[in-house]
Formats: sequence, structure tokens, C-alpha cells
Amino acid sequence: MSNNTVTLAHGAGGKQTSELIEKVFKAHFSNPEFTADDAAVLNMEAGRLAFTTDGFIVSPFEFNGGNIGKLSICGTVNDMACMGAKPLYMTCAFVIEEGFPLDKLEEIAAAMEKTAKEAGVKIVAGDTKVAGKGQVDKVFITTTGIGRIMDKANTSGKFAKPGDVVIVTGDVGRHGCTILLARDEFGIEADVDSDCAPLWGTVESMFEATDNIHVIRDATRGGVGTVLYEIAEQSNVGITLEREKIPVDDGVKGVCGMLGLEPLYLACEGRLVIFAPESEADKILSALKKGKYSQNAAIIGRVTDEDKGKVVMETEIGSKTLLPQPSGELLPRIC
Amino acid sequence: MNENVKAAKDIITNYRGRPLRIMEVCGTHTHEIFRLGIRNLMPKNAEIISGPGCPVCVTPVGFIDEACWLALEKDCTVCTFGDLIRVPGTEKSLAGARAEGAKVRPVYSPLDAVELAKNDPDGQYVFLAVGFETTTPSACLAAETAKNEGLKNFSLLTANKTMPNAYKALVGSADAFIYPGHVNAITGNKTCIELCEKYGVSGVVAGFTANELLTAIAVTLTLADKGEPFFRNCYPRVVKDEGNPAAIRIMERVMQPCDSEWRGLGVIPMSGMELREEFAEFDARKKFDMPKIEGKPNPACRCGDVLQGKCKPSDCKVFGKGCTPQHPIGACMVSGEGACSAYYQYN
Repeated sequence: MSNNTVTLAHGAGGKQTSELIEKVFKAHFSNPEFTADDAAVLNMEAGRLAFTTDGFIVSPFEFNGGNIGKLSICGTVNDMACMGAKPLYMTCAFVIEEGFPLDKLEEIAAAMEKTAKEAGVKIVAGDTKVAGKGQVDKVFITTTGIGRIMDKANTSGKFAKPGDVVIVTGDVGRHGCTILLARDEFGIEADVDSDCAPLWGTVESMFEATDNIHVIRDATRGGVGTVLYEIAEQSNVGITLEREKIPVDDGVKGVCGMLGLEPLYLACEGRLVIFAPESEADKILSALKKGKYSQNAAIIGRVTDEDKGKVVMETEIGSKTLLPQPSGELLPRIC
Repeated sequence: MNENVKAAKDIITNYRGRPLRIMEVCGTHTHEIFRLGIRNLMPKNAEIISGPGCPVCVTPVGFIDEACWLALEKDCTVCTFGDLIRVPGTEKSLAGARAEGAKVRPVYSPLDAVELAKNDPDGQYVFLAVGFETTTPSACLAAETAKNEGLKNFSLLTANKTMPNAYKALVGSADAFIYPGHVNAITGNKTCIELCEKYGVSGVVAGFTANELLTAIAVTLTLADKGEPFFRNCYPRVVKDEGNPAAIRIMERVMQPCDSEWRGLGVIPMSGMELREEFAEFDARKKFDMPKIEGKPNPACRCGDVLQGKCKPSDCKVFGKGCTPQHPIGACMVSGEGACSAYYQYN
């Protein structure tokens, strides 16, 4: 049994810890900077750096379209990408429940390797702790990343301006909907998979098309709707959306209809919300439509100097109403 | 926008007839009307008001107190539709009871609660049976399933409501009703036709898409302006005059009409459903020998007046101040289908 599962001894710092690191983590994360010492030593160019950290406790830890490992790389890579930063190095810290199957841990590490490789980021240090049965739910991961901000990038939630268009890079709400279905609490079945994806390539392609991008945000917990309200407040502007322009997968639409949920408030893990001057919209959209993760990119609305701090919806019948603000926690442990 | 939607919208926005108050009595209609921005399209002399159509909103305070009693005093796991968890009781909501250690479990269907009971024979499971003719058949099916399987650890706390006598209690509150399509899909149109012919009460049955809702409102405006009582089924693809006989039969097998307390409207004779004697062992009040529990609503809250169309949510002193979706004082602020909650979120 102990050969196939993680035991407390794996986290005790002795021989078995070394074995676990060697067999699982080093096997997948190996690169010249991957440290065997207390800290990784990095050679960095001078310039502006983006530096961020994120914890991942998603339940269930594997789902349609990914697992917690893929998610833990995407989350941190995307946070860096939103600042216009090319992800360079990451660290990861695992907290694993005693009895967690080793083959599942291996799958998680393999997903991290694959995703990190795609994003062009190196995992250079890590930590493994094992908690007793019931003290943690299966596996939690924290990743930290450092990236170099491109000279031409200058984005912030404060920079949205009246006249900007609002772009999403694909259909909204898939990750949240996938997790909701995976929990199997509602007895609903639908063919939906998570949009979880590393988006540095997407961001890079936009900056190749234009320097003139005001805001880039990844719509994770709280979904696109929450991000829009945050930006409306940060930039002190109004945002008007067109309901019929918002891309939503049919499966997600069906689930939302049954449960009375607003897709704009379901989490995404592979979608960016972009604010840019209208003059740049075509260039950005045509760059996005060539990308692997952004073929369904669409302009969903505009920034106005009316209704400051608010998000207004032009509905499918041509009326206007507020997009209600989210209240409370829609679904815990989504990422 | 399709042609039907456009035509209906034109009729609505160009209405210049006599002043009309149209009451919708379905929580899903409340929500969709706000979501689509239909109220913002209404002409000056025609107003849409929300009636007692959200099951959570009409459930009285005492029912929450009863549920808390079962959870805290009898150690039952209380299974409920999620919205009910945050509705304030006299002293606490089920969320408050949960913080004190009570077992409160949100479920999507009453049969989920039966399943939970089956998988945990040592625990007692109580399903909070609220709602109208739309949800009552599934609560009845849960009771029947539990009986057939000989379950000894499952029961219902009933507060089921029926619409016919509520409409009669609301006569005079509005010039016409938008009847709830889902309820009529079960019950058929008999009551609505009778209300029109015997009591002069006007109304239309409406569906839930933008097209269906706008059409129903346009039909209402056109007919109401003539001044004669009318009834129209504007949701014929789902609602048949005879309703759903299978659903009606199971309700009749398992439950019987009783007097029922509605938040804000008081006790309306024969407007509720209770378990029949043959199902007494699944009636949580009898099973746990529950004492009489009378709830005391917060006196500042005007949910009762809101539910009868006597005031707008914004006329209530605590609306948006002490009472918000995050900290609701009244039930209408809890559910997304509640008039106060919709008013707060969309204005």
C-alpha cells in the first residue's frame, strides 16, 4: 500500500522525501536551474519584473479539461501575462494528504511539466509537505512566478477609458460550470470542459499587433462579471455590454438556465478581458482569432463616461438594465 | 431581435390606454422581467408589480423556526432548496443554525434528500417542502418513494402552497395577472377560466422567453384596455387546459388541501397542502411531536405589503439600508426571484 500512496514519511525530510522528489518532481521539472540547494540561483536581466503567487485548492482535483497541476501553472502564468510579463521562473509548494495515490501525483506533475513547457516557464524550486489523513483534502498547490514585463506593456485595471472596447478572448464560464458538474451535486449532466489554458502566447500575440492596450485581466474566480465591476470602479468609468455579443457555450447556457446562474459570474481559467481603444480593436481581434485559445474572441461592450462604477447590460430585447453584482460565494473551491 | 419580439415591444411602448397595474405571480417571471429590462420599457400608464410568486418569499417566519427546531433540538439533517438557508427566522436563519452546529444540506431535488437518508440509516433527514404546484409533485414523489422503500429516517416539513385561493385573496390588487406558466402546466387553466367567468378577474398565462413574456404583456395591455374580463393562454406550447394529469394524481394521492399561512397575506383558507393520514409517518411535525411554534417577523420589514403589490420594495424603510442581499431582513431580499432582491440588484 505505502508503495502506491503518499505517506507521512514522504514529508519527513529523510530518504523517502528525497525519493519522492527524485521520482516524481525532478523527473518532470528537470532543467538547469532546478535547484538541489536551499534556493534557486537565477540570472535576471534588469528591467521591470512581475512577481505573483497563488494557492490552488480546487475540488475535485481532476476535472474535464485539466487537473490541479495544470491549473496551478495556468493561474500564475496568466497573472503574469496580464501584466504584459513573459513568465520566466516558477516555484511550487505541495501540501499532500497522507494516502494520496502516487500515480495521481505523477499525473499532476506531468500536467505541470507540459503546461510550463508550453508557457515557456521553468520550475526552479519546490516544497513538499505531507499532512495527516483528514488534515488537508487530497492535494493543495501554491505556485509563485516571476516574469519580465515587456518594455511596451503598460496595463492596469486603472487604465480603462471612455471609448475603449471590451474584448473577451472566448466563451465565458466554462471552468466554473465544469467544476459545478464534476461535484455531481445537482444531478445534471452536460458536455462541458474547463477552458483552463496558459495564456502568455495569447498576450504576446496581441502585443505584436499593437502596443496600445489599456487593461488585460484574467477572469478567474467571480468570472468576467466580477472583473468588469472591478475595472469600472478602479478606472471610474461605466461599462455597457451587449447580451447577444457575449459568447457562451450551449452546454454552459443550459446548465445556467436550469440553476438560475449568470454565465458572466462563473469562473474562467483561460479567458482574458481586454480593454483597448476602438482604433485597435480590429488588430487585436485578428491576432486573437489566429491563437489556439482565443479563436472565439469577441467585442462584448464599450466603456462610457456614464453610470460610473456600473456595468449596464443592453438586453436581447433592446432594453437596458444593470448587470446585478454578485453576492456571496457562488461556489467554494473553484480553483 | 425577431419580428414577434419587435411587434410586441411596439404594442407595449406605444400603449396610451387607461392606467393599468399588471401583477406577475411567479418568481421566475420576476427575475426574467428584471433581467430583460422589461420594466424599463413600460409606458407611463402601465405598471408591472410583483405578487406572491416566489416560494421562498411567501414562506412564513414560523416555518424557518420549525426547521431550526428540527435541526437543533432533534439533530435532524435539514435538506432544502438553497435559497431557504438564508431566510431569517424569528431569531435565526438556517445558516445561523448551521453555524451553531446544525446539519443543513442544500439539495436540488426532494429525491436527493431520500437518497441521502438511504445512505445514512442512523441519521434523520427532513426535507423542507415549500413551493407551489410546480414543486409539490416532486415532494409527493419523495414521500411515496420513502414509503415504498420502507424508510424510517425520512420525513417532510410541509409548507406547500396552491395558487387558486391566493388569486381570490389578491382580487383588487391588480387589473390583470400574468399567470405562472409552470404552475398552469401542472394544474391546467380551469381555475383561471373560473376566476375570469365567476369573479371577473383578468389574466394571461405566460411563458419564460423574451418573446413569450413580451407577447403576454402586449396581449394583456390590448385586452385590458377594453375593460372586459379576459383570460388567454399565451403559453400553449407547454400549458394545456387539462394540465398534467399524472402530477395532479400524485398530489391527490399523497397530500390534501389545508389552510396555510402566507407571509404578508396571513392564513388563506385551503391554500396549502399537507400530507394525508396514510403518510403521517413522513410528516415531520407529527413524527417529532413538534410543539406549536409561532414566528415573529421583524416589524420593520414590509415584505408582506410588497407581496401584495401595496408598496414598492424601495418604499420599505429598511430596503437597501439594513436589508440587502448580503444581510437580508425579509424573505423577499433573499432569493434571486424575490421582488426586493431583484429591485435591489437591477436598480
